[in-house]
Amino acid sequence: MSKKYYERPVIIKQHSGMMNKFGSSPSLPPITEVEGIPVKELTEKYGSPLFTFSERKIRDNQRKMLRIFKTRYPKVQFAWSYKTNYLGAICSVFHQEGSWAEVVSEFEYDKAKGLGVDGQHIIFNGPDKTEEALEKAVKDKAKIHIDHFDELYSLMEITERLNLKADVAIRVNMDTGIYPKWDRFGFNYENGEAAQALKRIAMNDNLNLIGLHTHIGTYIMSAEPYRQAVIVLVELANMLSKQYDIALDYIDVGGGLPSNNTLKGQYLDAEQILPTYEQYADAITAPLFDLNLKPDELPTLILESGRALIDDAGYLLSTVIGNKRLSNGKRTIIIDAGVNYLFTSHWFNHKIAPAQHSGSFTENSAVYGPLCMNIDVLREDIVLPTMRKGDQVVILYVGAYSVTQWMQFITLRPNVVMIMEDGSVEVIRESEKLENITSSEKVPEKLNSFSLK
Amino acid sequence: MSFYLDSIFYSYAQIFFSNRRWFGVAALLITMIDPQIGLLGLMGVIIANGLAIFLNFDKEKIQKGFYGFNPILIAAAIGFFFELTPFLFGIIIVFILLTFFISAALEHLMANVFNLPGLSLPFILSLYVFLIFISSFGTVYYKDITFLSNSTIVFLPEYINIFLKSFALILLQPSSIAGLAFLIIVLFFSRVMFINTIFAFAVNFIILHLLFQNVSESLIILTSFNAILTAFALGGSMIIISKKTIPLLFITLLFIIIFTVFFENLLDEKMLPVLVLPFNFVVLSTIYSLKFRQENTDLTLLYFNPGSPEENYYYHQNRITRFEGFKYLFPELPFWGEWKVSQGFNGKHTHKNDWKYAWDFIIEGDNKKEFENDGNVCEDYFCFDTPVIAPLDGTVVKVIDNIDDNKIGEVNIKQNWGNTIVIDHGERLFSALSHLKKKSITVSEGDKIKKSDIIAKCGNSGRSPYPHLHFQFQLTDKIGDKTYKFPFSHFVYRSNGDLGMRSFTFPEEGTYVRNIETHKVIRKAFDFKLGDEYIFNYSLNGKSGKEHWEVKVDILNNMYIENDNGSRLYIYLSDKVFYSTNYIGKRDSVLYFFYLNVISVPFGYYEKLNWYDKYPISITVKSFVRYLSEFILLFSQQISSQAELNWVELEDQKFKLVYDLENKGRGLFSFFKEKSNGELVISSEGELSSIETKNEKIKFKAELINNENEEDNEQTK
Repeated sequence: MSKKYYERPVIIKQHSGMMNKFGSSPSLPPITEVEGIPVKELTEKYGSPLFTFSERKIRDNQRKMLRIFKTRYPKVQFAWSYKTNYLGAICSVFHQEGSWAEVVSEFEYDKAKGLGVDGQHIIFNGPDKTEEALEKAVKDKAKIHIDHFDELYSLMEITERLNLKADVAIRVNMDTGIYPKWDRFGFNYENGEAAQALKRIAMNDNLNLIGLHTHIGTYIMSAEPYRQAVIVLVELANMLSKQYDIALDYIDVGGGLPSNNTLKGQYLDAEQILPTYEQYADAITAPLFDLNLKPDELPTLILESGRALIDDAGYLLSTVIGNKRLSNGKRTIIIDAGVNYLFTSHWFNHKIAPAQHSGSFTENSAVYGPLCMNIDVLREDIVLPTMRKGDQVVILYVGAYSVTQWMQFITLRPNVVMIMEDGSVEVIRESEKLENITSSEKVPEKLNSFSLK
Repeated sequence: MSFYLDSIFYSYAQIFFSNRRWFGVAALLITMIDPQIGLLGLMGVIIANGLAIFLNFDKEKIQKGFYGFNPILIAAAIGFFFELTPFLFGIIIVFILLTFFISAALEHLMANVFNLPGLSLPFILSLYVFLIFISSFGTVYYKDITFLSNSTIVFLPEYINIFLKSFALILLQPSSIAGLAFLIIVLFFSRVMFINTIFAFAVNFIILHLLFQNVSESLIILTSFNAILTAFALGGSMIIISKKTIPLLFITLLFIIIFTVFFENLLDEKMLPVLVLPFNFVVLSTIYSLKFRQENTDLTLLYFNPGSPEENYYYHQNRITRFEGFKYLFPELPFWGEWKVSQGFNGKHTHKNDWKYAWDFIIEGDNKKEFENDGNVCEDYFCFDTPVIAPLDGTVVKVIDNIDDNKIGEVNIKQNWGNTIVIDHGERLFSALSHLKKKSITVSEGDKIKKSDIIAKCGNSGRSPYPHLHFQFQLTDKIGDKTYKFPFSHFVYRSNGDLGMRSFTFPEEGTYVRNIETHKVIRKAFDFKLGDEYIFNYSLNGKSGKEHWEVKVDILNNMYIENDNGSRLYIYLSDKVFYSTNYIGKRDSVLYFFYLNVISVPFGYYEKLNWYDKYPISITVKSFVRYLSEFILLFSQQISSQAELNWVELEDQKFKLVYDLENKGRGLFSFFKEKSNGELVISSEGELSSIETKNEKIKFKAELINNENEEDNEQTK
């Protein structure tokens, strides 16, 4: 018989009032294993904290999304949003599933090329494309999505100088009825800049207008704004075909589809209030048929979903460092993963589940990271069972923007592993060592030595 | 001049159902064994074809010898029967003209009234006119017919001499040597014909001896020569050979004997020879009667320009295997994305009896399930609420849109078909789509719709325990009418991760299917239009040259590409697939290697898509082994020619179409194996850019040198 589980004493405030119609808010049931591998085993082998990705889940997500769109529209192409997660292994899984690369900087561009993506399968977005990067993209026949007039002028100059043609699209922003309006990216539709940019491109011999692009925002919680956005793009596409006889290769609706992460300040769980992906797909595809084209002539629908495809394929495994009680009596749990690894905890209430079975009592707690900084708060309030030093937690839905926005701050960044479809575990990014940080540092000679008394 | 020469040679070849120039030349030379008869025959064709040209008859028909062969026969026949005198010579010329007009008239009459060829009826008719006419002259003398028995090859047994003599009689030559020579050129032309010749003679010889106590040599020769011609006509030249060929020949050979005896007695009074009359009679009546069958699946009458029996067979066989289901209507699957056939033809649930030719489609997720969560509500099912599209252009004739979607597991037997659309596609073809989602139908009765228009959403109404799409073709606009077996034009199917392409066939239960998604670049490369021209630089085994192509359309609206040496590639372009239907011409041209490379081409790029297609071996196999195998072609085909093809995407939106061709024998010929492979490259602008083929003997490469080439040069500078 195993030893009985020790549960420390808990003080619970007794309520006497109306029954809460939502029931008590329980903690998540324990998640003891990820993809069939015990959390304990993973952290013992690869250290704690540990980012863990599931290959199967990524592929499932991508295939499901592709299925949803492909059964609603004849030509669909996904492009993996590098900024969401550009670890080589992750990108390669998406490329194996047929996704192109969507990059927003020269660094990301080079990374995609380095992974073996052809220029023609790279969509180059973003407001900052250096002259060198543009030149590279033109030579590689990448699809360049122009963000502003100055970039358009550079591109005109570069293509003329190189005597090459460039495949381009413009990014268009428009009022889709949501806040915030992302009108800082691309050309605005309402003020006529988009039409003007299209005209200039249509008149230029070196620029080959092949698409229209928009990206209305991030974590869009309703399908309707997408419909509005596509209606605008379709209108522009019709204008292009009428005025300039240009038939577009594609319409790129960008990303912004939400994952199941719940935003701070959101009362209900994301799962309960978000539309289904099918509803988004219906809203995005329906206006495209107003192009009045034969199915073979319809432009390809490109989607740059990032978050929705990767968030729930990522887990952050972490270990409890200690417990303490605040001045107001609130319990706090300190774990070894902080906001330096999980930037996203600034706007999401990440779900945190215990990684082992524990007692039945739960307590409202705050979860703090290990940094010696006041901002290192993972959750202000979360109901968790009693935890002891060395116990583990699994932080869910951390696949998106975590391993790209994380930073080396106070601590070194941990291992990232991928659990492969066959159940094996591969390290896809090694934990940092001191040399990784110091090797790029330079200490002026005069500062080379000191003696402390 | 060469046209005129052609018309002479092909006229000779026509008599043996051959379409080879060399055959005509050889036959002409052989007739010179008896120079008098030979020269008369030659005069016949020279005069007749000259007259045809003078009177502006159809040039193609003149060239093919349609007007020439009867005049050869009449002139030769008169020379065969009579001593030549200057008076007779004059009469012969008149009768050549007469025969020409009769054959022109008869050909037209037979074609229009019976859709039959005239064969040698004009010859027989004019000969009888001649014989009756000439009987009033005392100055024309019959030859001593006994000379027939003299011109034998002495060291051969008698029956072989008889055989050869009857063979020679086809061109009215009176000697065994001529017969032997004819036999040899027939052997070179067609092994099937050669076997037929021997078969016909042997069967005839045996039956005659069984039927009659004493058989005269003349009867044997007369019947044999009719039998051989009949075997030529029905054993591959006018009817494509099949398993039923031998029995057919056997029966018709009996008829030949009966009719020979019949005509001999009938014509005896008038002193008229029977000659080829039984052959004409039996062949024409047999072919005419075969036209009125319900199905033409075997003993198929020739429906294209004739070649040798082998070529006819290979062409027909290739067409059958490749285009059997071809219907000139191109319905596609009524949805987007990949669906699974959950119930196919003769399904175990509901596709039975009158409704056996129907399909149920569902969407399966990666988890091999058709739903997520518990599958307790319609919305859990992947196919529920997805668009249903029109399979083909048409008019909406029935719409039911107000039946509730069932709860999972329940069925609505009262309104069996649920929400349904019936579409009239014209040509007496209707399609019905059932179990649609309530209030999801976006078209109304009377609407004209186009292929791929969204018309409804997939639902769960009617007799549908879980969401699925029921699809069937039918012959009326009635909802729930019995199904009609009609194929989908093209689709891609998946099994074990590999993709394949199917044309004009029926998706099978348990398979995953989707429509072909076309790629702009590929589509453009194969968008051949009337008048398009292409010029290639090529090198073949070190020899280099230039070849020019032009896209043309013939009277029957068949599109073909013709190169500058007259070779033709017949092509068929559907919305989604390009087909090479036939190639006629030389095997050292760019066009030939192009043909090998593009036997069929879907306009879509899929990484793992492999497809297969077959070639008529008369075009791809040029080996002695093939000729050997043709001796038993009447029983079965021993050699096949098939290619596996796939697309490869190169950098820069370039595509490469790779083919691996294998010619292979089976049974006795399993030692035979030939392989070749090659590729066609398409530039990112959608232009054909290069063609390459390699095997043990051939190294071929061609490059397009149109205007695009200059641009390339600029870039490389």
